[in-house]
Amino acid sequence: MPSPPVASRSAGAAAAAARRILHPSPLRPATRWATIKAATTTRTLTTSRHHLPASLSATTPTRTSSRPYHSYSHPPPPGPFTPIESLLLAAAYRHVPTHGFSPKALARGARDAGYLDISATIVPDGVFSLVQWHLVTQREALAARSAALSGDGQKGGGVASRVEALTWERLLGNAEVVGQWQEALAIMAQPSYVPASVKELAMLVDEIWFLAGDVAVDPTWYTKRASLSAIYAAAELFMTNDRSPGFHDTRDFLRRRLEEASEIGNLARSVREWLSFTTSASTNVLRSKGVQI
Amino acid sequence: MLVLRYKKYEHAATPAPPSSNNSSTNPPQKLKPLTPSQTSFLSSALRVNQAGELAATLIYTAQTPPVVRREPHLRPLMAHMYEQEAAHLATFNALLARHRVRPTALYPLWSILATGLGWSTAVLGREAAMACTEAVETEIGGHYNGQIRQLLEMVAGWEAEGYDVGDEFRELIGTLRRIRDEELEHLDHAVEHDAQKAEPHWLLTGAIRAGCRGAIWVSERV
Repeated sequence: MPSPPVASRSAGAAAAAARRILHPSPLRPATRWATIKAATTTRTLTTSRHHLPASLSATTPTRTSSRPYHSYSHPPPPGPFTPIESLLLAAAYRHVPTHGFSPKALARGARDAGYLDISATIVPDGVFSLVQWHLVTQREALAARSAALSGDGQKGGGVASRVEALTWERLLGNAEVVGQWQEALAIMAQPSYVPASVKELAMLVDEIWFLAGDVAVDPTWYTKRASLSAIYAAAELFMTNDRSPGFHDTRDFLRRRLEEASEIGNLARSVREWLSFTTSASTNVLRSKGVQI
Repeated sequence: MLVLRYKKYEHAATPAPPSSNNSSTNPPQKLKPLTPSQTSFLSSALRVNQAGELAATLIYTAQTPPVVRREPHLRPLMAHMYEQEAAHLATFNALLARHRVRPTALYPLWSILATGLGWSTAVLGREAAMACTEAVETEIGGHYNGQIRQLLEMVAGWEAEGYDVGDEFRELIGTLRRIRDEELEHLDHAVEHDAQKAEPHWLLTGAIRAGCRGAIWVSERV
């Protein structure tokens, strides 16, 4: 798609913004970058996507290994948002409780940050980026809350109870925007955003198991993450209709689901132990009878 | 024993708090952020190493009873090789958990195949079992050498650009070198114990080496 002249864009700006949100395309960041140029003079204008600042082109969803090597000493790789996007999204996020995950919140946020309303169009996926902002900031905040939980002396409870506590902490992170959360789930369910949303969910549950101190690296690595993903998604949906004080219905729901999952896990473990015991016992019986195996 | 080793490793790999005192006297280390290709190389390297060591422990576990029943004098050797492989597996399990690398999705498949390989070669006789060790360790030695070479290139690149190289990577290269040497020691043991007298030696080692290469290729990806 050729990039339209800048002059005509300012006329139909609102319509163009809406179109962009509905139909993201790989060329978008470049054209949007041209629009925002007036507001941010720190970077040179480039029309070719290949000459964009590395941090900006990195905002288009990248397909890297879903579970990259995590280094403790090397500086972390840049996050999903560029500094200017973070500025706009953080400002827009404050309007979410009133205006929802909507273009209106983005526009208000841009204005609060000192830019034109239309500046919000530099955000690559529009309202989905706002949802993503919520998901990423809440996930990253979990590490600090986990440290606070261990400070409270809850560490003695073992991995399972820490998983429950951390999942609950994360669900409470939705409390402020719970009225808008069904809308956010609908945005995440749009086909073009499903891969990014699922990846974000996977990163969240991986974070929870990691913070809970789980060090299993066998097939349970996968089953643990899959079951927690399902439970978390269900609890999140349950919470959007929860009117109980302090969401204690959601808390009970979460506890019941986790108990069920651990029962199924115990059952699977028992079956596996029985099978391996029976196999080794019968092999040894045959060996004792002189069979050459 | 495994727990002890894990703790020992953990202690060695963690940037220990006292080092922050050192850094207050020395200038802090200037470390380059890892590029996406480097992180994906590191995660697939650790993943395939864990899968390999898992397979090795299972091969020796399955080989030991049939081999030892026929040749009781091999018991200490089999136990020694098994213990080393178990220690390697514990090392890589700790590294995977620490660096948040997912294990291979084909874990159950490798478990079954490795047990089957170990048991069937052991039933064929001591020579076949040793030929299996010879073939596997040859592949593994080359595989570790390739990884060490890539890591050294990475480190040399950092040094050329004027960055520091942290303990994290010095430790990792040291660990891989030690493990490679132990694997090559197993290769020597296997050759000393008549691995090359196995009946169709070229067929056994050829098939097992091809299987190893295929498994490595798959484990790096899945």
